[in-house]
Amino acid sequence: MAKIAIIGYHEVPTQINPERTRWDIMEEVVTGAIRNAGISKDDIQGVVNVAPQAQPDLISQTAFGLIPEHFGLKNVKDNVICNAGGASTTNCVRMAEQWITSGMAEVVLVPHITVQSDIAPEDLITFFAKAPMHQEWEFPFGMTFNGAMALITERYMHETNSTEEDMASITHALRDWASRDPLSLFFNKGKSTEDVMNARMISTPLKSVECNMLADGGGCLVIASEEYAKKHCAKPVWKLGHGSDFLGGTPVIREDIFWREGYRKSCGEALAQANLTVDDIDIHEIYGAYPFTQASYLEANGICEPGEGARYHAAGHTKLGGKTPCTTMGDATGRGHTGSGVSMAFYCQVARQLRGEAGANQVEGAEKVMMVTSGGSGMNTLATIWGN
Amino acid sequence: MTEMKRPLPEVSPESKPFWDAVQEDKLLIQHCNSCDTNIFYPRRLCPECWSKDISWIEAKGTGTIYSITTTYLGTTSEFTKELPIHVAYIELDEGGVRMASNIIGEGAETAKIGDRVEVDFVKANGDFKLPLFQLIKS
Repeated sequence: MAKIAIIGYHEVPTQINPERTRWDIMEEVVTGAIRNAGISKDDIQGVVNVAPQAQPDLISQTAFGLIPEHFGLKNVKDNVICNAGGASTTNCVRMAEQWITSGMAEVVLVPHITVQSDIAPEDLITFFAKAPMHQEWEFPFGMTFNGAMALITERYMHETNSTEEDMASITHALRDWASRDPLSLFFNKGKSTEDVMNARMISTPLKSVECNMLADGGGCLVIASEEYAKKHCAKPVWKLGHGSDFLGGTPVIREDIFWREGYRKSCGEALAQANLTVDDIDIHEIYGAYPFTQASYLEANGICEPGEGARYHAAGHTKLGGKTPCTTMGDATGRGHTGSGVSMAFYCQVARQLRGEAGANQVEGAEKVMMVTSGGSGMNTLATIWGN
Repeated sequence: MTEMKRPLPEVSPESKPFWDAVQEDKLLIQHCNSCDTNIFYPRRLCPECWSKDISWIEAKGTGTIYSITTTYLGTTSEFTKELPIHVAYIELDEGGVRMASNIIGEGAETAKIGDRVEVDFVKANGDFKLPLFQLIKS
């Protein structure tokens, strides 16, 4: 199978900053990623846009071709948008891969921008209460995104005998990564497990710091063919394998409630395609947006015993210097939630780690990274392995 | 109980028999006559076998709490006066049906996974009723 690589990336810090407009951020990340790749803007042959959530004007602008026009990308052959919620970036990369391996393009741009701080809070609450929940069978009962994930967390704790303190240790670990990351909303704002336990309750058992803070952000990737990457990039980040599983759209009727089976299938497929075992993976980047996912991922992949995921985090194994570094960009809980942009932030972090550019969070010697994205309220698990 | 001003479900042609029955204090679920599967939420075809030979059966209205959360913050404004609200996944005794609802009434604040519940039809906005659940007193 022909390979593809990330050859350039750029990201702005995740912030709450209504002073930065969408197109201001767009200009920084698009020009930044192309300059980071060290190529000409006219080498870009396709644009695959990550759909922003709750921003219908920006969706229309990017869907209908304003990016190649705005940036004068003269050799672009096509422009498209992909919306799969938090899994959008993975789908955009797969679309780029199809364009490249089919011979349509050698180099494809994947941009994403989200500004949520200029949207009225009530509108955002309504969007995130309705969009990933079933409007007829969940929303009328006061279900929110946090509430749905709290229901899963409560059941997880029940089945695994995990305590609220065990679960809080996951957020401590995520915020520990975030505390050293200048791109995080929570830079220099670590939280101890006790801090997490003492935070304001939102939906039992989830406290405020275990839920997501909505924020603004943006990032951009440059994806290239194997031949082009070898010729033009000193540090390409190669896609080595991929696996997918669809779990269901509505949390209340989903059978794989902790996403474990989804993680097992998608990660297993990705490992088989890459001809690797889980022991070969140096970093696990898990975008689940809520702490239970960080636990069930480990169980699904046999990294710990079934039901021991939260306690594995509590033992410190997933932190910097631990034997299983996990989610070095902090997930949405430790980074700030930029809608579908969280997955873009994950991709940028994978590139940083594999190029040795992750600063204070660099995992020394990292050569293989498994990253998983999920969309909606957990409709899917999309696992991709990257290597340097 | 605080008077409810809930956002109401957008009733579809597929789900109208369910909501009509709720207004008459009945809880209906769909049953596929072809593959003998209970179906929730209502659809025109069975998601298991695609048969359209689907009938409505009346559920007993009893079940077990599969999971429960008490929400203090973060709902849309229609729920603000009801907070804290107890949101639960209920598994009906008929099998194959897990539905979202609320636990209301005596003991709701201490309800937990595994507790037995029974349906109560509650006016949620004007005369429109929703199927909510109360703990079954042992």
